[in-house]
Amino acid sequence: MRRDVEIGLLYSQSGDYAAIAAACRRGALNAVAAINADAERCVRLIVIERDPGGNLDHYEPLCTEMLREGRVRHVVGCVTSSSRKEVIPALEKAGGTLWYACPYEGFECSDRVIYTHACANQHLLPLLYWAFGRYGRRGHLVGSNYIWGWEMNRVAREVIASAGGSVTGERHQALGDADVGRLIDELRAARPDFVLNNLIGQSSRAFLDAMRVLREEDPAFAEGSCPVLSCNLTECELPGFGAAAEGVIAAGPHFAGAPLWGAGHGAEAASSFEAAAYVAVATLAALEERTGDPGTRLRSCGVDPETRHMALPVLIARVEEGLFKVLEHSGAVEADPYLARRERWPTARHPALRVVT
Amino acid sequence: MSRRIATPELGGATALLLHRPHATTQALARQLAAIGLRALPCWPHLDAAALSADFVFFDADQCHDEMFPWRPGEAPMPMIALIGSEAPGRIEWALGQGADAHLLKPIGAGGVYSALLIARQGFEARRAAADEIATLRARLSERQTVVRAVLALMGRGRSEAEAYAQLRAMAMAWQETIEQAARRICAAGETGGPTLATKRGRDV
Repeated sequence: MRRDVEIGLLYSQSGDYAAIAAACRRGALNAVAAINADAERCVRLIVIERDPGGNLDHYEPLCTEMLREGRVRHVVGCVTSSSRKEVIPALEKAGGTLWYACPYEGFECSDRVIYTHACANQHLLPLLYWAFGRYGRRGHLVGSNYIWGWEMNRVAREVIASAGGSVTGERHQALGDADVGRLIDELRAARPDFVLNNLIGQSSRAFLDAMRVLREEDPAFAEGSCPVLSCNLTECELPGFGAAAEGVIAAGPHFAGAPLWGAGHGAEAASSFEAAAYVAVATLAALEERTGDPGTRLRSCGVDPETRHMALPVLIARVEEGLFKVLEHSGAVEADPYLARRERWPTARHPALRVVT
Repeated sequence: MSRRIATPELGGATALLLHRPHATTQALARQLAAIGLRALPCWPHLDAAALSADFVFFDADQCHDEMFPWRPGEAPMPMIALIGSEAPGRIEWALGQGADAHLLKPIGAGGVYSALLIARQGFEARRAAADEIATLRARLSERQTVVRAVLALMGRGRSEAEAYAQLRAMAMAWQETIEQAARRICAAGETGGPTLATKRGRDV
């Protein structure tokens, strides 16, 4: 006799980040289908779904509504950090758990959230150290006026400075602002070794389009030099970005074709968003099937009970002809969401680069 | 003013929790472990080993002065008050202990990280200000010495303005404060030395 477990899905099917939310939703539903098709499993998952439509103010009421009757205790959802922060009080009140499957800037360990995608020591730090050795340590930082852009660029500035490099400039754009002329002018004058792109949505698209023009006009930015680095570009946005995304180097726990981690082992996913949401559902199902104290159960499912993040593989890949080609694939890295444990940083694996302050 | 907060200094740091065993200490310890700090519950008092801790969280409801191995306001590390009763007397006492930040009880799933950063910034600013005040006080207490040095230099036929300008020039040449230079001039006057030997042995 299989036990029914209701899970909530809270992804926006319209709005600025609909493509990302769709990838997460696909991953979650694929995992539900795989678990429900497996007669050996003790649980069967029943999906309850709400669509906040990309409106930040709809997340908390919809989450509360799903949790209200007490049958839903796991909600898989949220793309932006601001929507995650909105639902945490609702989860605290109802004793629910949010499974958050997107890369984020870190500095959070809510005991009502399990984080299945990467934080800065699992995306930004490995990407920067990878780039330092190949392109140099003079970085230009661009980002959107939003917590992701601000905090990622702040951390990048700190990492670049402690590695003896320099920041040639930093520019933040209003959300949705596609006027990148000034940003490109600054970049042209600064001639950095690399650009870290923390712009999101339309601004990112406009920036990459303008970078492509710059590469054709100015030999200092020719193909193969001054790469654009990203910690959130995945396959799910490539069709929308087209040729503009060519050459972008991104870090993440997964790119199409790579194996999934933890409870997602053996499955496939077309992007890291899809992969992390798949792993979220597979992990929550495994957790429901186990008994014992919560810490032991979390650990046995690959979740660090202290940080409630997962140990993740780190992949670095470049967009070539519309697909990500993996350049480096390293073993699992434990999360350090507060960037307070140096032994979990990529430099710990290369003692010669160890930063002393 | 812009201040840069360096993130990677908390891993491995020690935080003492001066609070009776309670859900509060458990919630604190959980948050501290997630950040990477070692939480050491202590009750009912801090022993001398507390002096080497990096942070102290203390219960503003039940703690009193005798529980700390230092005088009120002289803790050698940042302190964070855990406030339950918001009675003014308790808040005043917590401030008197030198609380640089506070958390309201019950402690939930957040707040510890920002309290650590705010307490550390506040503690360092307070310590830097105290050092500066001590230096200024020391200089202030030397006013009489400066007056005596100026008078000694005036005794060689200079006006007051000339004497003071010469004192300043001497301090600059000797690379020390005016007060230190003044002390040297007074000492030379008392021993009756005809010249003032510099640190480098040159005559002025």
